Amino acid sequence: MMEHMGLQPKIKSTVRCLDGPIGEVSHVIADPLTLEVSHIVVKSNGTERQVPVETIRSADENTVELSCKSAQVPEFPAFVRADFLSSKEVEIPHLEDRIHAEPGEIFVPFPELERSCARRTFFTGFTTLMGVLIGFPFVWPVLQYVMKPMYAPFDNRWWKIGNTSKIKQEDIGVQFTFKKSFRDSVLQREEDKNNWVVKASPATLKQIYQHGDITFTDNVGNVVWVNRATVPYVAYSGKCPHLGCGYKWRSHKTRGQVFLCPCHLSIYDVAGTVLDGPAPRPLDVLPIKISPAGEIEVIDIEFKAGKREQVRIA
Amino acid sequence: MNALFQQVYDFVEERIGLKTLEAKLMKEPIKGGSRWAYVFGSVLLFIFIMQAITGMLLMFYYIPSADHAYASTQFIIHEVDYGWYILSYHFWGSSAMVVMVFAHMSQVFLWGAYKKPREMVWLVGLALFGLVMAFGFTGYLLPWDQRAYWATTVGVEIMDKTPVIGDFLARFLKGGPTPGQMTLSRFFVIHVMILPGALMGLAGLHLFLFRSAGPAGPFRGTPDELKAKTDFFFPRQVWKDIMAMGVVFLIISTLALIEPVQLLEQATPDPGDYHPEPEWYFLFLFQLLRWKVFSGEFGQFLGAIAIPGLFMLLLVALPFIDRNPERNIFKRPIALLCWAVVMIGIAVLTVSAILNREFLD
Repeated sequence: MMEHMGLQPKIKSTVRCLDGPIGEVSHVIADPLTLEVSHIVVKSNGTERQVPVETIRSADENTVELSCKSAQVPEFPAFVRADFLSSKEVEIPHLEDRIHAEPGEIFVPFPELERSCARRTFFTGFTTLMGVLIGFPFVWPVLQYVMKPMYAPFDNRWWKIGNTSKIKQEDIGVQFTFKKSFRDSVLQREEDKNNWVVKASPATLKQIYQHGDITFTDNVGNVVWVNRATVPYVAYSGKCPHLGCGYKWRSHKTRGQVFLCPCHLSIYDVAGTVLDGPAPRPLDVLPIKISPAGEIEVIDIEFKAGKREQVRIA
Repeated sequence: MNALFQQVYDFVEERIGLKTLEAKLMKEPIKGGSRWAYVFGSVLLFIFIMQAITGMLLMFYYIPSADHAYASTQFIIHEVDYGWYILSYHFWGSSAMVVMVFAHMSQVFLWGAYKKPREMVWLVGLALFGLVMAFGFTGYLLPWDQRAYWATTVGVEIMDKTPVIGDFLARFLKGGPTPGQMTLSRFFVIHVMILPGALMGLAGLHLFLFRSAGPAGPFRGTPDELKAKTDFFFPRQVWKDIMAMGVVFLIISTLALIEPVQLLEQATPDPGDYHPEPEWYFLFLFQLLRWKVFSGEFGQFLGAIAIPGLFMLLLVALPFIDRNPERNIFKRPIALLCWAVVMIGIAVLTVSAILNREFLD
């Protein structure tokens, strides 16, 4: 009995029994725990058989000598491919560092517990089901968590933005900025907001109110305020209805005094009508209240930009 | 010392096969030899690593709150030693990233390297392109100055025009109906957590797929010529890569030095005298939306969503449409023409956006 620790039988070596050659080595079988060769697969007359390494008497470059007679060889169990896994089909660390079997393959026995196909399918299904059971209850809380601030109710407060005495002339855009203080999650913040107020001439007023009074509603459709054509002052939201930039009152080479947005070059006349550029709708009129002393108050409504119709979002 | 090093090396080698790993990483044969044209991918990785490092450093002082973002950024620029350099490096690094992505994609396109069997490398690359643009978009809100505020306002309004999910997407990003603290929080977490995680994962996948498919090599030359010139990734290609990284580092640092970041006024819904404008690499899209053809609700959808979306879809479909195995760009006139048209188009739109500035003042 030879010492078989670290044995590296050469593939294609001739296999000899005590009474002469019987075939060649076609593969090797390794023990997946000790990472040592446990059997060689001997191909003899077209059949492959598993020969335990203990049967090997000696091995050199080209020959493996067995300590049995050729008549005993058919007694070794046949090599059934399906009962084994090649080293390419399984993850056994260091196996290929320890044993070299080119140009053949190293095989390890297919574990007994892994052969039942029904259990495999069951486990796949069960794993998927558990994944879904863990993930699914998580979806709703997470969605609610991230959506919490997304659909805040509209703010219908009135803001004092200045006095009409600032407006010296009809049909001129006058900017009114005001400090809007509000709660932003846990912060108490103040922002500079920006609106435009026009003292409209009768012609401009007619243009603005061409479809009648302008009604403003809250989330559920209740009327919050109605602007009437009897008030000659008109406030526009400072947000450009194209894509939300801040527009300005500028003089234009050919069109005279206009509202012009520097972002995408939308141009509006004093009544807010689109004269040129990509804007899809006129400037947004805001609810306006004028006190007897000329104090201007507005509701700082925000509409979605880029829509033909006004869609209130804040 | 050497003996100790050897011991540590052997210890690791025995456990994880360091030599094999080294061979896998470094000894990749490059068909037709190393080239300067192949440096872009490595340079992108380098720029990303530098962005990650400078980004982490910025977070030492940056406070992601609407109250303090602006002041803490000013603090970084004006009071922290070399804060101006770290921030300006990060700023110019982002531009370098975009430039390098375009260079990398152009090289792959012109070399026909997206063709079989490298389709998956190309697809993951396109996802990475999207991530780089998303990095840029989420990053410049963080200083909370006027540029930041308006670019975000307009950018989110554009996303709002996406069919079906647009409104949800815009509200999700803004964390509400209007931009505010929630917007800053969300952009911050997307910029410093979600995108870096996604980019690292996808870049790893990109490299894995690239190594699995192998480099495409030059588009001309007989197999014998290619074999004669073949060398390993290390040392010649690594040398070219590191030289390119050095040059890029120098350029970014120089830009940071001569053109350091300067903040505009603090963000507020009143633009004052400021003419809102996005970062230069979004200028072509910005200019496109000024066109009369893209006016109105539908025109805007066309210009802001449909055309960029279709262009990306076309890039996704490219390796499946263009099945001709010919890789030589001089024998692919349509491909060359398309590339030139896209590049010239972007250049012309960008320049006209810059020229338009004058008209505004």
